Amino acid sequence: MVKLTIDGKNVTVAAGATILEAAATVGIKIPTLCWLQKVSPTGACRVCAVEVEGVDRPMTACNTPVKEGINVTTQSEKLTEIRRKLLELLLVNHPLDCPVCDAGGECDLQDSCFGLGASRQEYSALLEKRPIRYDWKLLESDPNRCILCEKCVKVDHEIVGADAIEVVNRGEATIIDTHDGAPLNCEFCGNCIAACPTGTLISKPFKFRGRPWTFNITKSVCAFCSAGCQIEYHARDGRVERVTSEDDTYNSGNLCINGRFGYSAFNAPERLIIPTVNGAETDWESAVSTAANRLKGIVTAHGPDAAAAIASPRLTNEENFLFQKLMRVAIGTNNIDSEARFGYAPAQALLAKNIGLYGASNPIDRIDTAAAILVFGCDLNAESTAVEYRVIKAATKNDAKLVVANMRDVKLTKYNHGRLKYRPGSEALLVNGLIRAILDAGVEDREFIAKYVSNLDALKESLAGISLSQVAEATGVPEKDIIESARLIAGKSSLAIIFGADAMRSTVSADCIAALGNLALVTGCLGKEAGGLFPIDEKNNAQGMLDMGVAPDSLPGYHAGNAAAVFETAWGAKLPAAPGKDLWQIVEGIEQGSIKALYIAGSDPLAAFPNNRRIRKAFDKLEFLLVQDSFPTESAKMANVVFPASLAPEKSGTFTTLDHRVQCLGKAVNAPGLAREDWDIFAELYGKLAPASVITGPEQILTEIKALSNLYGGECSVVKGRCQGAGKRGFALKEGLSFVPVSAKSADGGDYQLLVGPILYHNGTISGWSANNLTVAPEGYIAIAADDAGRLGIAEGAAIRVTSSAGSMTGPARISKALQKGLLFAPHHFRGLNSNALLEGSANLVTVKVEKG
Amino acid sequence: MSQVVFSSWGRNVVDNRSGGEPKEAQFRLPVTFDGERPLKAFMGWDGLIVFNRDTDVPAMVAEYMKRVQLLYCCGKCTPGKKGTRVLMDALQDIVSGRGSEALLSTIEDLTDLLRNCKCTLCQSATIPVLDAVKHFRDDFLAYISGARKPQPAAYLDKLTAPCMDKCPAHIDIPAYIETIKEYRFNESLSVIRESMPLPSVCGRVCPHPCETACRRKNVDEPISIMVLKRSSSDNEWQRKHEPPMQPKPRKSKKVAVVGAGPAGLACAYYLALEGYPVTIYEALPEGFGGGMIAVGIPPYRMPRHLLQRDIDIIASMGVEMKYGVRVGQDITLEDLKKQYDSVFLAPGAHRSKPMGVEGEDKGYQGYLKGGIDFLREAYMGKPTGMGKKVVVVGGGNTAIDCVRVALREGTEESTLVYRRSRKEMPADVWEVDGADEEGVKFEFQVLPTKVIADDSGKVTGVECVRMALGEPDASGRRRPEPVAGSEFVIECDTVIPAIGQDPELSFIPQGIGIDITKWNTVVTKYIPLKDVAGKDLKDGMGNPLSRVLITDCEGVFAGGDAEIGPLTVVACIGSGHRAARVIQRYLEEGKAYLNEEDLIEDILTNLPVYDKDEQVPWLDTGKRAHQAEVHGRERASLKNYCEVELGFTESQAIREAERCLRCYRVAMVAI
Repeated sequence: MVKLTIDGKNVTVAAGATILEAAATVGIKIPTLCWLQKVSPTGACRVCAVEVEGVDRPMTACNTPVKEGINVTTQSEKLTEIRRKLLELLLVNHPLDCPVCDAGGECDLQDSCFGLGASRQEYSALLEKRPIRYDWKLLESDPNRCILCEKCVKVDHEIVGADAIEVVNRGEATIIDTHDGAPLNCEFCGNCIAACPTGTLISKPFKFRGRPWTFNITKSVCAFCSAGCQIEYHARDGRVERVTSEDDTYNSGNLCINGRFGYSAFNAPERLIIPTVNGAETDWESAVSTAANRLKGIVTAHGPDAAAAIASPRLTNEENFLFQKLMRVAIGTNNIDSEARFGYAPAQALLAKNIGLYGASNPIDRIDTAAAILVFGCDLNAESTAVEYRVIKAATKNDAKLVVANMRDVKLTKYNHGRLKYRPGSEALLVNGLIRAILDAGVEDREFIAKYVSNLDALKESLAGISLSQVAEATGVPEKDIIESARLIAGKSSLAIIFGADAMRSTVSADCIAALGNLALVTGCLGKEAGGLFPIDEKNNAQGMLDMGVAPDSLPGYHAGNAAAVFETAWGAKLPAAPGKDLWQIVEGIEQGSIKALYIAGSDPLAAFPNNRRIRKAFDKLEFLLVQDSFPTESAKMANVVFPASLAPEKSGTFTTLDHRVQCLGKAVNAPGLAREDWDIFAELYGKLAPASVITGPEQILTEIKALSNLYGGECSVVKGRCQGAGKRGFALKEGLSFVPVSAKSADGGDYQLLVGPILYHNGTISGWSANNLTVAPEGYIAIAADDAGRLGIAEGAAIRVTSSAGSMTGPARISKALQKGLLFAPHHFRGLNSNALLEGSANLVTVKVEKG
Repeated sequence: MSQVVFSSWGRNVVDNRSGGEPKEAQFRLPVTFDGERPLKAFMGWDGLIVFNRDTDVPAMVAEYMKRVQLLYCCGKCTPGKKGTRVLMDALQDIVSGRGSEALLSTIEDLTDLLRNCKCTLCQSATIPVLDAVKHFRDDFLAYISGARKPQPAAYLDKLTAPCMDKCPAHIDIPAYIETIKEYRFNESLSVIRESMPLPSVCGRVCPHPCETACRRKNVDEPISIMVLKRSSSDNEWQRKHEPPMQPKPRKSKKVAVVGAGPAGLACAYYLALEGYPVTIYEALPEGFGGGMIAVGIPPYRMPRHLLQRDIDIIASMGVEMKYGVRVGQDITLEDLKKQYDSVFLAPGAHRSKPMGVEGEDKGYQGYLKGGIDFLREAYMGKPTGMGKKVVVVGGGNTAIDCVRVALREGTEESTLVYRRSRKEMPADVWEVDGADEEGVKFEFQVLPTKVIADDSGKVTGVECVRMALGEPDASGRRRPEPVAGSEFVIECDTVIPAIGQDPELSFIPQGIGIDITKWNTVVTKYIPLKDVAGKDLKDGMGNPLSRVLITDCEGVFAGGDAEIGPLTVVACIGSGHRAARVIQRYLEEGKAYLNEEDLIEDILTNLPVYDKDEQVPWLDTGKRAHQAEVHGRERASLKNYCEVELGFTESQAIREAERCLRCYRVAMVAI
């Protein structure tokens, strides 16, 4: 610790702290303009100049570390004059367009000039106007307003890692621009807009939508990916006009394109606003009665198991809870499942069985401080950008060693110390290879294994049969790279293992997940302060949905059938004894005619689910299809009854992040037209099916969840008006765990394999209704390796036709350096391309035939 | 010392304009810029020097500030970006007759405000401007009143920094440190590669003269410039990034380089970037490229895979490597001259010097040829002839490498004998400390006098005499002298003389037109720069200061140790880089010459840019960072050539980079 004096006050701070930080600890505020806590100090504006006794020049507080015994003065006539003159210099040729500047009213430069008394102008220079960049997408840049604080460049480089903008030119002509002057081509996260203290970088969709102080600001949670970033909705006249995130949030104010710009989906003209029955608009009473009567009729005629439901990771916990309760109690069937069936749910079940882990083992901020990180089969950039920001932070600021195992080159590749570019289908074998290399090198976590795991010998035995050279041969990863990566991740004080869709939806997913569980135990990555095991799902409430018992075989809180008595008592009803059908069994049931009624809420199986041509055919056989959604989805178009539902900013309730943070939504606007919150619709239908029930709202449902789940509990902690999370029981590491021997084989594909997955610019299919996202990524494409494109004579942008046993699609080709030979990739967000239709089952990879389109 | 019209250099004002007894000013500048054109005036961070009474000081100052603002100001701080623009406009207004006297006050006011700049570039540029306004006020007033109009004048400028100037390769050190500070290691490495194609090497084994000229030393401790270079280099390798260099389209004229050492590799690298087909002829076999870096620096200091990576990168840029071809033996220099449009000689200095003691020429078994030969053989896995008790004679880095390698090759006792004291050793302090830690024995102030052998001709010891400092000689230096009666014998079975190397130039045929100096180095053409007393300006090795690197033989150039004399990797790289530039001019324009940039570079180096006595006002908070290191004797165990120094962690590198004061400054001459 270092002791010093600031303005006569004694201060004690840790060595390495800056004078600015030291001053803040005793409530002394030194003026700043370019300082931004979450990035490295810049020292550009110089207004934080302070005097240090014995030093014959002012020092800048933001980037000067403290020294024992120094005497600092932060306020003096001389300093006031320096600061005023510096601001006068900043104002030389600064445009006087404050009345029409988007930053007017929330401009740090205005505030600083006012605060530091810069009210006149002593200096002048020749005015040189610099062109305003109107040609950028989503953002606009007016360099004339720029004060060169570099916050945008630093956020772009240090946090996002996009490196899209930089400081260019010399002297007074210095501006922030793209490195080659071409229109901005970046991740369009808009974090630079948020960091900009003036009106230099502004949001195009927000421009001229109103003065900043005229909006109602509601603190809430982002409803796109599963990281649950804390946001603010700025709304007026029933519309969300922008989304921001304050720097003191869990996510440090950082968002991605979906979080910042995806809100335009909420305002989409396509929104469903009136209930329909057989395509005809009607009122709620008639729609709900029709639905209730049809459901009751089918149940009466064919039994409750003739009905089934598909819930959604987009719904709140309360809504999902109510939905499964409705199906179990009011209908009487366990036939409820969701898209989590394709990967997240079985992976979770497997890790629950092997390790006792349901979801992530630690909060995601423990990734920041992990000593090593393995990102396995996960394009974090697309699957959870907020988690990617943490990996970047760990690998660039906190010296974490990063290993990226991915069949494609992904953004994180540029930060990796170890790279495992494996053949599709060899995921499980690769993990086993890593474990083998760790054991060979003797860098397993012996202390952890001795305490928690009983059967290391069994694991060794199971791996004795494979050699690293075989693994190298089958995975396509050189043996030395496997050994290098093993040494990078093992034997460290902490390790984060992050895995995503390519692991959970691999063609060998069960083996892969079991092997990853073994890897977690071998490396001792569980139960430590830093690091952990982190499964990633693309959608916001996948974890919460499963917590709520949206699954055919588990009740809320993962209670199995033997706990039914508790629920039966609470709900005053007999629960169906037999487990229900899972998603693919539901599809089969429909095909076979045993399931006649289907209730879908917040999902569009016909666009977002794999093998959806099969599903479409099945739906043709349904007697009754009820769809509850916010958009005219493919499924809604086939529905007998459509309930128009709310989206996140129109709702109350909670979402659970992938790392078990249960956060309350803030309701910013009312749903458009007649659309209603999903819980409200469920409640009304529930009332019609089981008239005794009274459901008053999300709070009441949450109370019930807490009472029954044995998983959620306690009160929300609220800091500065923002919910920081309700209580949820976290992961508790238990002794007596076992390795599960995995005899992994490599799945063999054909000449060409298609990978279907998310891209950065969209999330699920909701962003497909967002004009902002569509500005940047308007349509689907099919990415192909340069080698393959050359061999097939396919040029960039030319039509390409890809066919699997399940279906085919034609789309524009995008020649990609990120792909290995024989691998194609298509984004799964676009209804037009419908790449999901080619997948044969849950796996996100399929053998295909490729030809010119 | 020079006679001047006016000088404020070094904050010491000498004004001879009013006549009287001329006073002398202190600085080291040549009287001509290029051997012909006289220097009229010079201005920079430390003042203004006027040699010629006709110098138009306001016009020169206005031009200076214009260049600072338009060409050099990085725009990354308010006073620099805006302040120099206001200053530039004010000075332009004055010299174009639109100015008022109030502008002179604005200039003074801003000079004070610019003390708040982020770095020294703009701030130091105000110093000569303020000097001019103070001491040449009448000239400014003449412009303001319209009585004077600017006349055409020729100015040349250069951006420099003390560290950058001191570095023989003139790497833009402040830029590569600043980019590290900004978490941009790749960009940092690109900056380094503009002047240094072997970054992994000079990030590890450079004697880093730059750090002796680091202004941060005037505040607390110098920046760890060398290890920061390693950080950038390691980052590319560790994160598996492809080097970004893209050579220009292939040209037709071809260049041969003799020697794959630092000078040869550097010359090949920069010519390859320009698109020239280059072939390097290396006497050693494949896998042993790198010249003295490979054979003279053991792998525990310079891991071979990283040296090889740097060489492979150069080869991947289209440079052809012909290993195992000794010029003069397998191919003649004349042949090279015929086959190539230009030849660059960079054979290095690989011939061990004799000790000059009794018994060294007797062919005793155990008396080895020389330190550099020992290191080469050990490295190449050949038998070295070393036994169990080794005595190495010498005080340089090669001697230290020998005692440390001897341990790793399995000797039981490794002793270093040096005739002066420990602190006088030319070897780097950290190398001596390293040897100490590994268990090397030292005999300081001891002079070997005789190699002793038994009847069978095997070395059994070396006779030595103790030395003491004698009376000061004419130069005032106290030379070590033998102490009578202090003779003693160090028992050993191996003696390795490591007292220095000479270039081996026998491959250069007599009569080809290439002269050799008495120190056995190649003679190259130079610019006759003289000081005011008429003395030739020299570099630190006694060579002419400003050399063109072309020999008297048409199309043949020379550099590196064979031209400079045995020096350092970084000096050879600087030499190879300059040779590449000169060769390019020769190939494209038919004449080899130094351009204005090269000339100012040499003039500034002679000045020099760093001033150890400068008072640098800054808070002395930052202790220099130290890289992690493997400790203990095991690190020198048998065949353990694992790297001893481990570099910075990246966060450590960034913290260290944040200490940099970015001491850029702009010099300008009027000629």
